[in-house]
Amino acid sequence: MIYVVNKLIFHIDANSAYLSWEAAYRLQQGQQLDLRLVPSVVGGDEESRHGIVLTKSIPAKKFDIHTGETLYNARAKCPNIVIVPPRYWLYMKCSSAMNKIFQEYTPQIQRFSVDESFLDFSNMEHLYPDYMKLAVTIKERIKKDLGFTVNIGISNNKLLAKVASDFKKPDRIHTLFPHELEKKMWSLPIEDLFMVGRATASKLHNLNINTIGDLANYDLKILKNKFKSHGQVIYNYANGIESSSVRKSNYIEMKGVGNSTTIPFDVCDKNTAHRVLLSLCETVSMRLRDSRNCCTVVSISIRGSDMIFYTRQKKLIVATDSTRKIYEIACYLFDNVWKGDPIRHLGIHLTNFCGNDFYQCSLLDTFNYEKDSKLNKVVDEIRLKYGHKAISKSCFLHSGLSSMCGGIGEENYPLMSSML
Amino acid sequence: MKILALPIEMVSYTDNKGYIKPIRFRMQIDDEPMDVIKIDKVIVRDTEIFAGNIMLVYKCQSLIDDVIKLFEIKYELATCKWILFKI
Repeated sequence: MIYVVNKLIFHIDANSAYLSWEAAYRLQQGQQLDLRLVPSVVGGDEESRHGIVLTKSIPAKKFDIHTGETLYNARAKCPNIVIVPPRYWLYMKCSSAMNKIFQEYTPQIQRFSVDESFLDFSNMEHLYPDYMKLAVTIKERIKKDLGFTVNIGISNNKLLAKVASDFKKPDRIHTLFPHELEKKMWSLPIEDLFMVGRATASKLHNLNINTIGDLANYDLKILKNKFKSHGQVIYNYANGIESSSVRKSNYIEMKGVGNSTTIPFDVCDKNTAHRVLLSLCETVSMRLRDSRNCCTVVSISIRGSDMIFYTRQKKLIVATDSTRKIYEIACYLFDNVWKGDPIRHLGIHLTNFCGNDFYQCSLLDTFNYEKDSKLNKVVDEIRLKYGHKAISKSCFLHSGLSSMCGGIGEENYPLMSSML
Repeated sequence: MKILALPIEMVSYTDNKGYIKPIRFRMQIDDEPMDVIKIDKVIVRDTEIFAGNIMLVYKCQSLIDDVIKLFEIKYELATCKWILFKI
């Protein structure tokens, strides 16, 4: 195997990000209690049924509280747990402050998500002769200036650096160079490998692959047969082979856009459901137009109050970026699939993109695309200039629903992606 | 010194280089009458960027009830609010 020896990548990850940011902010505002030292979680609003654990403190981990679990469950496990609401503007601020510090050390930074970044220090050995010293400097600076701790993973590629930063928390530096693979990575359970999720993990367990080492030494042919191209990817990852560069922008060519929302109450009638779909359409189609694409597949997803999840999709004859057209199709799909059970969660997803420079008309379609696209353009411009609430469809008046729903509510909030 | 984190009303002076100097402030603890305190001396001025939130921190000294007291006041740039942090 050939390694590119002179590559040096840091992966820096804030420890229990949302929580420690909130804790640092509260300490600065004069609160005496450090949230990091007591069992505490950042959780969504239970009133509007977004009550899940977003981040937990390290003492909360001891009560076996997991991210994504309901706050009700968390309270059952630890009755005196402290629950704080999320503040996304604060997270953006912390993330930017952290990024500003990174920029003093290298120009090659990839903000992988709001709380983690890849830093490229390749060919900088004259500037930073000792990478360990550099890592300590960065870690201590963040701790002293910004008041929270980070984990730093150091390796020759992004994958190994990411795995390394996950080893032992908090406030630590780990290395995972290719010669340390066997010792440090191969004994870990297969679930710890990047790109191995719940579904893949159970399939791998069936093949008697339980650790990353098992996967690394498995027959590639069988993996390829079972998982197709994904088999090659995870086999490479288990062997520490990954060569993507530290991209300055996290932008990846989009293959789809989607928005979904958990509704504060159970929806039992068709009209309200249509209204929620319309409000999702407003958000999602504006994003679609913003990306200068048209879509040819519209899919909707429904989760009932019994938590059963189902989706339906339809291919369109004419590619579109019109709010109204997408809404019509979403309603058509919805009416066909919905059996009248109470709905908790609705989502719309648009895929199969093509450029929006021109469109192909259909003789059988009576929809006036030209007129509609002019209207959409004006509405988008008003919203961009005066905010999302500046103009909305009258059916949302007094309905208790937001005229544009889905998303976190913060612009350009970077979320994790599955691509390094 | 004890952490108080009390919002206060401040008279300050900003010079043409953007340096902010606190001069006197007014505070009220519970229902007691308003107290006006003149800042006799700024000992240290520091900038704090905890959680990415910028605050100017002033360690000051004043004569309060005939006793020289040390205290810390903070100015939050994002909200333009002054707080008496520690006394």
